[in-house]
Amino acid sequence: MKGISVRLEGLTKHFGKVVALQALDLDIRAGEMVAFLGPSGCGKTTTLLMIAGIYQSTAGQIYFNERRVDHLHPRDRDVGMVFQSYALYPHLILFENIAFPLRLKRTPQAEIEQKVRQAADLLGIGHVLDRRPAQVSGGQQQRAALARALIKEPQVLLLDEPLSNLDAQIRLQARGEIRRLQQQIGVTSILVTHDQAEALAMADRIAVFSMGKLQQLATTDDLYLRPANVFVARFVGHPPMNLLEGGFENGHFTMGTLSIPVPSGHLKGGGSLGIRPEDATLDGEVPARVVVIEPLGRETLVTLRLGEMDFKVLADQAARPTLGTEVRLGYRRDRVHLFDQAGKRVAP
Amino acid sequence: MRRYSAPLVFLLPATLLIVLFFVAPAVTTLYLSLTDISTITFRHPSWIGLGNYYSLLRDPFIGRILLNTAHYVGFTLLFNVGMGLLLALLTSSVRERYGNQIRAVWLLPRILPPVVYVLIWQGLSREAPYGLISDLLGTSRNWITAQPWNVIVLANGLVGASFGMLLFTSAIRAIPQDLFFAAAVDGATTGQTVRRVVLPLLRWPILFVTAYQTLSLLTSFEYILLLTNGGPGFYTTTVWSLHAYQSALSNYFGNVQFGLGAAMAAVLVVIGIAVSLFYLRIFNFRALVGEPKVEIN
Amino acid sequence: MPLLPPRWRLLFLVVAALSLPVIAGIVWLFLTGSFDEVHGLVPTGPLALKRWRFLWESIGNRPPIHVPLLNSMVFSVVVSVVVVTVASMAAYAISRLSFPGRSMYLGLVLMLHAFPAVSLIIAIFYILRLLGLFDTLTGVILVKASLDLPLGIWLMKGFFDSLSWEMEMAALVDGMSRWTLFWKIALPLVRPGVLALGTFSLLSAWGEFILPFTLIVSTRSWTMALYLQSFIGEVFTDYRVAAAVGLFYALPVIVLFLLGQRYLLNVYSGGVKG
Ligand SMILES: Nc1ncnc2c1ncn2[C@@H]1O[C@H](COP(=O)(O)OP(=O)(O)OP(=O)(O)O)[C@@H](O)[C@H]1O
Ligand SMILES: [Mg+2]
Repeated sequence: MKGISVRLEGLTKHFGKVVALQALDLDIRAGEMVAFLGPSGCGKTTTLLMIAGIYQSTAGQIYFNERRVDHLHPRDRDVGMVFQSYALYPHLILFENIAFPLRLKRTPQAEIEQKVRQAADLLGIGHVLDRRPAQVSGGQQQRAALARALIKEPQVLLLDEPLSNLDAQIRLQARGEIRRLQQQIGVTSILVTHDQAEALAMADRIAVFSMGKLQQLATTDDLYLRPANVFVARFVGHPPMNLLEGGFENGHFTMGTLSIPVPSGHLKGGGSLGIRPEDATLDGEVPARVVVIEPLGRETLVTLRLGEMDFKVLADQAARPTLGTEVRLGYRRDRVHLFDQAGKRVAP
Repeated sequence: MRRYSAPLVFLLPATLLIVLFFVAPAVTTLYLSLTDISTITFRHPSWIGLGNYYSLLRDPFIGRILLNTAHYVGFTLLFNVGMGLLLALLTSSVRERYGNQIRAVWLLPRILPPVVYVLIWQGLSREAPYGLISDLLGTSRNWITAQPWNVIVLANGLVGASFGMLLFTSAIRAIPQDLFFAAAVDGATTGQTVRRVVLPLLRWPILFVTAYQTLSLLTSFEYILLLTNGGPGFYTTTVWSLHAYQSALSNYFGNVQFGLGAAMAAVLVVIGIAVSLFYLRIFNFRALVGEPKVEIN
Repeated sequence: MPLLPPRWRLLFLVVAALSLPVIAGIVWLFLTGSFDEVHGLVPTGPLALKRWRFLWESIGNRPPIHVPLLNSMVFSVVVSVVVVTVASMAAYAISRLSFPGRSMYLGLVLMLHAFPAVSLIIAIFYILRLLGLFDTLTGVILVKASLDLPLGIWLMKGFFDSLSWEMEMAALVDGMSRWTLFWKIALPLVRPGVLALGTFSLLSAWGEFILPFTLIVSTRSWTMALYLQSFIGEVFTDYRVAAAVGLFYALPVIVLFLLGQRYLLNVYSGGVKG
């Protein structure tokens, strides 16, 4: 089975007065896994449900390859979906749950048996197929839901926070499993998640959403190294990027009495400068006072008071300063991020 | 309209039945009440406007019937609500298992076929040495003939009390336990707890049961029909709804006055519509219809 | 539930006493249906099964017992099946489908639920005659099922409301139409509601008197209610025979009561009106 490309053009969804999604343009390549990342209520599920055909779009189009699908009933779209609650049918045993899409297609019994067993064995739930959803663990339910979504060999696989109800350990394991399976069968997939580690680990590219708008669609590296705007800069990476608000003038960024030379000399007017905690050091020249120290094991998160604001530095454990003392803040010059007044990335 | 074919299919049977046996009869009742339809004119009724309503007003027995209706509805209601409340309070004060058993016993009159239920009443009300009531009271009478109203109210009440009982019981169960503890800490006696805490909290259920049962008592006549058929004698226990029914459908006098009966029924239908519309208003039912989360059918 | 302190529990006896008439009635039915002579609740004659002869021969010009018995069974089973099916379908649409006028439909149902349908009996008589369904079992079945519908729709809507939307979405994505979804997923999942409504309408149809009394004339369409009524409606009622017939008629209900009190209590407290 070969995946297809999914293209969204100007996709918009209103619920009464609420604008859940605004003019979304998105191009997902065949066989790719894209993660939707963003805060609660930003329209991730809404987008997924429009692709599945459960919601009708207010405006815009959805294409699978070059075929327009947004007028089609879900059953004619050939998508598979895993829900956060798994949404297994409680009155059917796992076998029947997984077999359901095939039964609807009137697949011969022998083929159903064979495919269900194969999928179940692949996911390690072959021994619980005769139980009902309530009689198996959360991890097994999650796998059954995945098997049900995959059994009909869909063109597109939609995963709406499939791992958020699992405990941490199983979650790590399931992450790898899903990714491996997806690459193996090459189905075009969309993964909705709250957890950026999950998105970073599993997806080829990540789409960051905020307030019903797409902020950036990029690979993990790009997202981290070249965030498109202040929102992405703050949202991706943990602990979040330090953002100083001030103005650009004569090749310098100034904030209060602070003045920092920046690589792009032509910048003018208000804006902000971002430095990730891991790109900052305690052996530079900007004076600052240590206000909080949080040991994290391998590293130490140091919060400094810099003018009016807090600045976080991820320091080596060995270089842990003393609380209340004055230190000298430094940073990697090649890793500063500059944003204009509107929050858009300007350089480098 | 392919989009709406699913709701159409799902709603079609119900809509058909509702139109055929609710909407059409309501309209028909009003229409027939304005004609002189009777056994003789059944095929070709003619329009007489408010004629039936005028003859209702002129009916010398109309006062009697109104009085009977008030008597029947008033006393039965009193018994139903009072007994329902008493039973709910008492059965939720004893151990759950016993409470349930007693409530279940009170369900019996309701689920027993009405004809059997009435047969039992007749049997118990017979003269000595057969009737249990005569036995217990030491006076040999047919109590249905001797005390028709008491029997009617009791027979209806034993059935109706369970309605209030069940509703009040779930309302009492919904009262947070803390309130009882708080009342106890405040030093309230049991009587005070019931009067000051429980009853005020049951205000809405009581209002609901009262309104609901008023409406259904006003229109129900099944047990009266079976117990006394309006007698003994002339109109002794005839209520409005029974009179409507008999005027239109019983063959007492050979030529039944369908139109007149319809006029009496029309009054009930209008009251019924008015009161149920009122329900709709106080129910705030819009809160009950969330938007569906699936937009395709 | 510590509403009343222990000494008030004497009141238990009061409730028990209040419930005695109900029990006395059932006891009377059993005794009078079985013994030759009963004074009050004391059998004074021998066990007599002669009055049960209605089981194998026609009494007077009444039809043989199997006619009303079969009619009653058909009547209540069909009514119950129709009510459950039609009400569930409508309730599913109101609860789950999107279409214009949805809340108005629910409003109508709610209003009809409160509306006293007996007041329509005169017009229903007239309409059945127009439809040519007067004096047929089909006619009474349709009327009885219709009158129970608003309650049924209301009850079932509550059950459908509690189903998970994600599951409904999953079913649609799996490739189901709303029609298959209803029969294969939604209806099986609201089984408690189906059983409650089924039991309620079965019992209510089994006991129904006014509708067949008004809408049926011929003895071949009689139900058990009419058959029994023909005994107690006589000038001189033979209570021994009437009690036997009544016992026979009420036995299924009494057995159901004895076996499933808890269940019935749930059915009738769960929003089912009387
Ligand atoms: N059926 C609906 N009716 C009305 N508003 C809705 C509906 N579904 C979603 N919304 C609104 O649309 C917005 C986007 O919701 P959506 O469920 O897509 O968010 P999300 O990104 O999936 O959030 P989460 O991470 O919490 O799942 C929210 O403001 C939400 O309240
Ligand atoms: Mg979501």
